[in-house]
Amino acid sequence: MADDAQHEHTFDSAGDAGASATFPMQCSALRKNGFVCIKNRPCKIVDMSTSKTGKHGHAKVHLVAIDIFTGKKLEELCPSTHNMDVPNVTRKEYQLLDVSEDGFLSLMADDGETREDVKVPEGDVGEKIDKLFTTDEKDTNVIVLTAMGEQLAIEAKEAPRG
Amino acid sequence: MAANGVDIDGKNAAPPVSTAAVLKQSITMPEGAQKVEDLNFDDFAGRSMTVEDLINNTSSMGFQASSIGEAVRIINEMRAWRCPETGQKTTIFLGYTSNLISSGLRGVFRYLVQHKHVSAVVTSAGGIEEDLIKCIGDTYMGNFNMPGASLRAQGLNRIGNLLVPNKNYCAFEDWVVPILDAMLEEQEASKGTEDEINWTPSKVIHRLGKEINDERSVCYWAYKNDIPIFCPALMDGSFGDMTYFHTFKSSPLQLKIDIVQDIRRINTLGVFAKRAGMIILGGGVIKHHIANACLMRNGAESAVYINTNQEFDGSDAGASTDEAVSWGKIKAGASSIKASTACFPMIVAATFAKPESDAKDANKPSESEKATAS
Repeated sequence: MADDAQHEHTFDSAGDAGASATFPMQCSALRKNGFVCIKNRPCKIVDMSTSKTGKHGHAKVHLVAIDIFTGKKLEELCPSTHNMDVPNVTRKEYQLLDVSEDGFLSLMADDGETREDVKVPEGDVGEKIDKLFTTDEKDTNVIVLTAMGEQLAIEAKEAPRG
Repeated sequence: MAANGVDIDGKNAAPPVSTAAVLKQSITMPEGAQKVEDLNFDDFAGRSMTVEDLINNTSSMGFQASSIGEAVRIINEMRAWRCPETGQKTTIFLGYTSNLISSGLRGVFRYLVQHKHVSAVVTSAGGIEEDLIKCIGDTYMGNFNMPGASLRAQGLNRIGNLLVPNKNYCAFEDWVVPILDAMLEEQEASKGTEDEINWTPSKVIHRLGKEINDERSVCYWAYKNDIPIFCPALMDGSFGDMTYFHTFKSSPLQLKIDIVQDIRRINTLGVFAKRAGMIILGGGVIKHHIANACLMRNGAESAVYINTNQEFDGSDAGASTDEAVSWGKIKAGASSIKASTACFPMIVAATFAKPESDAKDANKPSESEKATAS
């Protein structure tokens, strides 16, 4: 069935990160404010409703969700007994070491992990990083959201002292 | 007083004004006036009465019995007519509402379509999907008084005194969704080619009839015999629900269904018919859609309305055939009648279901196929 094909497709995109990028969950077990994949995009559920079995066929779950990276609104409708993919979303705080000329952040975590694959984001967060780190020369921490091979700096703040 | 004709002397004579009023002299009934006839079962002593016997003997009973007889006469006239130049038959439009497909009348419609007795069908959404669903799950007898709340709790849907379990619709969903997928794929694949697929309700129904591949289905026989089934309100039911759900699945692509091409197709059938007949069971969109297609030809030559709707509220559902004459949907002077649905099997038994050569007023039953059930 086409549904299965869709699921397989999602697993293909798991990439080479050790843990799988997504895991399946029965549609009826999804909750508001939780995560879900819609059209192969990691999303946060902002609204959901269910319709019972009836003239329209199997019971359905209607989801409205926001792409966690792009902010785009997506909708999905799924039979409540079907599985949907849920993205493994990690949120981690890093110390900002440097901002490269081409707009990438140089980051280091408490555990010593370093990464240079996160761009300075557009909008408020990017401006805040610029102000805190470049203008005010403060010790700056950045929170990075990672899911399905994508990452985004979602918050910047002055590092706590001591 | 003498002016009032009262004889004050006590003589017993009726007042002349009263005698004049009560004993008004009647006209002589015109020659050939139909007398009300009694039905006499003794005439059939020792044998079973056939439907035709019954109808022949009730057409002069009066009331609805006469309407049935008139419907039979009009339909036999539709069947018997041949174009003097081309030999073409009457283009017969058959219309029925969804509930009638849920009932056992479905078998009557299937018979008419299977044996090519009609040229085109118009129905509402349930008239399509319930026909298909009946090939997947059964509809059961209930009664009109079953309480809605407890039926809902049991997952049963009521149509008059019939019940349809929810699981039938789940089975329908499982059956139809892959077909929607395929139709969308064909639509997309054909883009920019010479044979771009432009789905219309009638083309979708043709496809569903092909896919159901079940001889109990009206849609199947319509597909087999290439008889178009029009359904301008195709989205108004479970099929519409499935299509709605499908838009989420298929996004950003979307199945497109064109109603403009279908209005052109049905009106063309009306306009170029040599003679048009309407047989319409029930009211609403299905009734008006046929009448409107016949309006394009300045009216149908004959019409049989089968419903018990009333005229009070001005809705077309209850409109008489004479109202349609005012719009030009039925020709002035055309044969037309309104009867009730319960009698439709009898009407068919006395018309389409008998050999065409038996049609009393058949002028030329030449290229006629035998209309007996197989």
